[in-house]
Amino acid sequence: MKRTLLAVVAIVLLIAGAGAQDKVIKIGTLFPLTGSVATAGQRCQAAVETIVDIINGIYPDLDLPIAKKAGLLNGYKIELIKADHQGKPDVAKSEAERLYEQEGVFAVIGSYNSSASKPASAVAERLQKIFMCGASSSAALTERGLQYFFRLAPTDRIENVEFAHWIEELNKVKAAGIKTAAVIYENTEFGKHAADEAKVVSAKMGVKIVADVPFTPGATNLNSEIQKLKAARPDALFAAVLGADYSLMIRTMKQSAWKPKMAINYCGGYQDPKIAEQMGKDGWGFMGSAGYTPEFGSRFMKAVAPVEKYYKAKVGVPFDTEKVAQVLRTTTFDSPLSMGGKVQFGPDGQNIKAASVISQLQNGSYVTVYPYEFKDGDPIFPMPNW
Amino acid sequence: MSMLIQVVLDGIWSGLLYGLVAAGLSLIWGVMDVLNFAHGEFLMAAMYVSFWLGFLFKLDPLVTWIAAGAFLFILSVLSYKLVVKRTMGKAMAPLLATFGLSMLIKNFAMNRFTPNFRILSDTVMDGKSIIFGEVVIPVPQFVVGIFSLVVLGALYLFLTRTRFGWAVQATAMDAEAARLMGVNTERIFLLVFGIGGACVGVAGGLLPSYLATHPDIGTLFGLIAFMVVALGGFGSIPGALLAALIIGLVESLAGFYFAPVYKYVAVFGIYLVVILVRPKGLFGW
Repeated sequence: MKRTLLAVVAIVLLIAGAGAQDKVIKIGTLFPLTGSVATAGQRCQAAVETIVDIINGIYPDLDLPIAKKAGLLNGYKIELIKADHQGKPDVAKSEAERLYEQEGVFAVIGSYNSSASKPASAVAERLQKIFMCGASSSAALTERGLQYFFRLAPTDRIENVEFAHWIEELNKVKAAGIKTAAVIYENTEFGKHAADEAKVVSAKMGVKIVADVPFTPGATNLNSEIQKLKAARPDALFAAVLGADYSLMIRTMKQSAWKPKMAINYCGGYQDPKIAEQMGKDGWGFMGSAGYTPEFGSRFMKAVAPVEKYYKAKVGVPFDTEKVAQVLRTTTFDSPLSMGGKVQFGPDGQNIKAASVISQLQNGSYVTVYPYEFKDGDPIFPMPNW
Repeated sequence: MSMLIQVVLDGIWSGLLYGLVAAGLSLIWGVMDVLNFAHGEFLMAAMYVSFWLGFLFKLDPLVTWIAAGAFLFILSVLSYKLVVKRTMGKAMAPLLATFGLSMLIKNFAMNRFTPNFRILSDTVMDGKSIIFGEVVIPVPQFVVGIFSLVVLGALYLFLTRTRFGWAVQATAMDAEAARLMGVNTERIFLLVFGIGGACVGVAGGLLPSYLATHPDIGTLFGLIAFMVVALGGFGSIPGALLAALIIGLVESLAGFYFAPVYKYVAVFGIYLVVILVRPKGLFGW
């Protein structure tokens, strides 16, 4: 997720930078810097700030043209204006308005929570400004016919197709016998759409959904939620649970002495290494999608150079949203940062080359288990008991 | 059947925790007519005390609740001296001042400790449960429940059976008359605020054994504590306990038999009904 953001910001900045009138380009960031998913928001913010530092400063040790000189092209510096939407859709909307209208940013990068990206990008559309979305996974976001909304990250729908393949594979190879599943999800844009996708995909595989459990994020306990799941005895659990709720979910599962054969997570708490570390052994065995693992990361730096060169040649145009958007719509970018290897936006603004892998937390590290061409370990199945 | 027992027990544990969190708030409101808006943040501060002691010195929440309670006693006394005392009796002033205090504490935590979730692992009670057939009793919640009963019981006895408790009650009924009778009401206010804070400190001290600590954790707990106090009747300790149990059970039963996503809807719905029918709360006067 973090790497995806780096890719997003690199592209926006490179394109935007090409035609700026003055020597500063303002880019807004809109993440949940406080609130119950603040950990993730802070990490997104840090990712963006990292690449901006690399662009603005001189880093001879990095194998990257943008690192070796200060600024972009003829010395254009990036100025980040950061905003915090606290994980709240209404705040996201008003902060997006502030960024575009008062701060005068060229584009906004955001917003982690799908529920925040939705209203914020609607503001961008109304003002005809670019909204770059790195890590919101609700497939519905790119089904709104927006012209200025671009998303790099894979959606829950893309991930679901993979989940389905994976479960079919497990049924075949490990004789997993997964016939029933349950979904637990936060009752938000992200959670609801992830759950809808899970239901569609389960129906396709002939897996029966035996429990459908939405919950209020930031809850004081998840007792009734877990009891409901436990009572339904599903073979597999699909979870769309963020941040602190994720750790609470696992703790409550453990206290209720319940574990399904497998649990697979949409992006969220599972992906947060900090939470994984703090949960210790309790978090092991859970699986989830991942847009990034270290092996892919090691290929990172080689990627950005050709992108910059490409845009230097191609975009010698003024600082114009319409033209930048046009380039975004019509070009295929190289992007080894992402699993897909390339970035190409469909007419709906979704990156159609987006892909992710399925990982499992084993002995404290994220092991890629599927698809097989990327795997660096075998899955542990079924999950060992508490 | 065992499912029903399980759900009811889960409701009781949540209820007892809410009762422990709300006790201090109820006491403070009952005696001083001050609604401490920073109550949820006091809980959060106590959780951080317990978390850091656990993280840095490997002390278990079973021990550090004492430190958290003591710290919160001091924090409360200071809050009283610096904020509440100067604003008491001026209409909305204490409410707004404690609201400001809550912002201060929350943002201090955010600034110093980052908004990261902090989880204590390998605590004594971590993930332990007692299993009776189909029914599972999680040890941390059970222990918090016992603490709740003990603290609320002690508070009740203290208020009804000791000289100081009588003085507190007299002050609650009419501070001026109590002052004329020779009660040092200033001292009463100070101690009541301190004890109220210490109660929530004990709750917060125990919570890191199963809940992640982060700067926002107090918000929903604070809201539920207000509901407990309003539902039970302002200032009534048995009322708070009963109201907390009702809220815990409604939450758990509605969550399981209706839909989890509606559990807080049910809780706030019950609250609305009670407030409409009986504005002074169940045990209020």
